[in-house]
Amino acid sequence: MKRRIWIFAEQVEGELQAIALELLGAGRMLADKLEAHLEAILVGHNISHLAQTLIHYSADCVYVADHPELAQYRTLPYRRVMVDLLSQLPEPPHTILFGSTTTGRDLAPRLAAYLETGLTADCTSLDIGPFEYSNSKDQSKSGVFHDCLYAIRPSFGESLKARILGPWKNPQMATVRPGVMQAVAPDYSRTGTVIPLAVNLQESDRQVQIQEIVRNVTSQVQLSKAEVIVSGGYGLGAPDGFQLIKDLAACFPNSAVGASRKAVDAGWISYAHQVGQTGKTVRPKIYIACGISGAIQHRVGMDKSNTIIAINKDSSAPIFRFAHYGIVGDLYQVIPELIQQMRYSLNSGNRQAA
Amino acid sequence: MTDRLCPLHSYVLIKQVPDQSSKAGVNPDGTIDRAKAKRMLNPFDRYALQAALQTKQYGAVVTAITMGPPPAIEILYEAIAHGVDRAILLSDRRLAASDTLATAYALYKTLLWASQGRSLDLVFCGLQTTDGDTAQVGPQLAERLGIPQITYCESFDLAHGTITAKRVIEGGVQILQTQIPALLTITNSAQRLAYKTLRGAQRVQQLQRDEQTRSQMIHTVTLDDIGADPERCGIKGSPTIVAATEKIGEIGGSCQMFQGKAVSVMVSELLHQVPLTNS
Repeated sequence: MKRRIWIFAEQVEGELQAIALELLGAGRMLADKLEAHLEAILVGHNISHLAQTLIHYSADCVYVADHPELAQYRTLPYRRVMVDLLSQLPEPPHTILFGSTTTGRDLAPRLAAYLETGLTADCTSLDIGPFEYSNSKDQSKSGVFHDCLYAIRPSFGESLKARILGPWKNPQMATVRPGVMQAVAPDYSRTGTVIPLAVNLQESDRQVQIQEIVRNVTSQVQLSKAEVIVSGGYGLGAPDGFQLIKDLAACFPNSAVGASRKAVDAGWISYAHQVGQTGKTVRPKIYIACGISGAIQHRVGMDKSNTIIAINKDSSAPIFRFAHYGIVGDLYQVIPELIQQMRYSLNSGNRQAA
Repeated sequence: MTDRLCPLHSYVLIKQVPDQSSKAGVNPDGTIDRAKAKRMLNPFDRYALQAALQTKQYGAVVTAITMGPPPAIEILYEAIAHGVDRAILLSDRRLAASDTLATAYALYKTLLWASQGRSLDLVFCGLQTTDGDTAQVGPQLAERLGIPQITYCESFDLAHGTITAKRVIEGGVQILQTQIPALLTITNSAQRLAYKTLRGAQRVQQLQRDEQTRSQMIHTVTLDDIGADPERCGIKGSPTIVAATEKIGEIGGSCQMFQGKAVSVMVSELLHQVPLTNS
């Protein structure tokens, strides 16, 4: 019987999230190496039409749990769907992947604890390969293992990438950072199996009720879709510094304001703006980092940007090691000058056009 | 206010982590020597601690719990200085190399031990730690306890045993409601930790001087004390291991630098290289 790779296909309000297609991209590579089936789990309400999209993006099979009580993500009802489906299988999937979203990071550990299996958080790379293990303290685990999931993630404060393995028990689980994996090109002629699931929620699954959901669409759209991101860090020295960051961002038509974790931790700007390992991953055309040292925590969230410009008064700041352009100077002088020169060149450009 | 006769019991799980802003204990190859590194209370746990202390207004007794080597008692002192009523340190060599699943199991057993003869109403965790960055232990613990969880919690209210909490999601928030018991993981956008109280600080001084008072307020326990199965802890109880590490490559050398010139000149040179106004 063929092994299975599962991905959790996240949708919000009936819209498939980019991470679902990214997970299919990563899952396809793993499934090909294992000669396994790639299967997607789609949970929600009135979402059956999304199953075909998942197949076009390389799912071999899609399980669909469609139920009014699943319309919005809630931990326990979604957990029930996963637990029930897993209990029907003759053997567990080899691997289950979730996105490192507020949904995936809520659901995956809950499920992993139920299954008593391993889970690696926020992976930036995945692979399949062999593994030899010996540990004098735990002989029972020693041996040579084939076809293991390599879950690779940055390990912080240590400037290292760690390869995490758990070949002793399936499923081997991982959450994957959004924006890192590439979706495959869709093949609209591709066919696959769609399997509707019976949804049997228990009373205990209804313990948490949603009173209200407020979506501040603008701020979300801005960071993930902005072509230019201007970010401020601890080097701003004070919360007022973000006004300058906003002024610079306002010079670009499709821009957004980002921030480093230190600036968010200091309470200078809300978490929604945070870029980095514990914030969002962005890849705009232009990323302007102002007063950001460039710690690895921040770097993994933005180093795929097309052009990175750093402004920092410390010429030895790590940001200058991976930025494309760097100005060494006081951001309180550099940014106003930059705004002024950009305005001047825009105005003169307009005059020429006129 | 609650209408219960017996007091509420809140538990806050905290962790001591290496202080990454300090250079102490950082080896040349980028690894951390945890024995030499400066230690601190996990920054996210400051918010969890504040959230737990907020339940005192509903009459809650607050217990802080940590798992770690003996020096981790430092963060329990810190929690007490901020107003926590009692503290528990789970310390046992057999816990070494615990992954999140094994950690959640050990903390689950500690919580059961800590709540003997008391209720277990609310459990608070930081969203994640800064040394592991996984955010997994909270939900894993909630699953073990069989109680609902609210992760990414930014604020909450408690009335008549009902928690109403604001949960941060991508591009918005959810307002969720559940009955206690429940487990909440608190984001770093939540209310900031208040200053240490004078009474708390005095209490800590007293604890540090007087062993008897200390043993009444801070319980140091082992796996045997809490009845935890050593096979489910540490390396044996961990389904994952770190198999290999590699240094993240420096891109280095490709950055075009503008420095040591007048600001207007540097900006002009930059704009000449990168036509930002076309963006």
